[in-house]
Amino acid sequence: MIEGGWTFVFGAYGVTFGGLGVLAAVVALRLRHWAKRAKALQL
Amino acid sequence: MLTYLSNPQRFMAFSAWAAPLFFAAAVIALGVGLPWSLVFSPADYQQGETVRIMYVHVPAAWWSMGVFAFMAAASFVGLVWRHALADVAARAAAPIGATLAGLCLITGSLWGAPTWGTWWEWDGRMTSMLVLFVTYLGYIALWSAIEDEEKAARLAAILCLVGAINLPIVHFSVEWWSTLHQPASIVRSGGSAIHPSMLGPLLTMAAGYLFLFGALVMMNMRAAIFRRRVESARARGGEA
Repeated sequence: MIEGGWTFVFGAYGVTFGGLGVLAAVVALRLRHWAKRAKALQL
Repeated sequence: MLTYLSNPQRFMAFSAWAAPLFFAAAVIALGVGLPWSLVFSPADYQQGETVRIMYVHVPAAWWSMGVFAFMAAASFVGLVWRHALADVAARAAAPIGATLAGLCLITGSLWGAPTWGTWWEWDGRMTSMLVLFVTYLGYIALWSAIEDEEKAARLAAILCLVGAINLPIVHFSVEWWSTLHQPASIVRSGGSAIHPSMLGPLLTMAAGYLFLFGALVMMNMRAAIFRRRVESARARGGEA
């Protein structure tokens, strides 16, 4: 059995949740930006 | 349902409440799946603790392919029926699919290092997944490179449909070629080969990824529709 390996596990989870978090933040900010502009033009 | 939502007004009304609902479902599923996969699921008798990488790697692999299949279906609808919302859906899904494909490659590398003794191997599965990732990037670049959105949508849809040929290659690569990856162990004839104590967190994480995709693709589509409205108003001279 492979001993240890937690460094790889934490690395994988960090990259995954970090990546998904950044993606969600970018998508949310982009939506907020265009929704605000559309609202300002009363569209 | 899809016909009903193909109207942008109806889609905007639907997604206004559906996107937050999907996002909440994703937070719940990932919130349950994270401790389940990291703490409460057992270590593997051969791979030890490193098996836990499976719970983030395998859903990323599944949905990076699933998202591309979604894009191919939307591209087909956009190309054949010239439905603008289908093109918006395909384009909105691309950065999410690219992120999932990238995460699949990185987490796969982090899993391969301790279990196979290598970060990368040019075997069928890894190479075809890399091709999928590059196709995503090409698709995104193509949309950005062409100013005329109608032309960009047509060319991107063709690229997407051609790129979809890679999906069965990714899926069957473990059967067609000698590879470091094991053959299919979950969706296969004769039932799943994975123990229920590991299948539970895996499916929970996969559900979390799917709900997150649903939320983010709707949010991206909403942003694209708002942007088109703003740009149309600007073109008509509506913006001061």
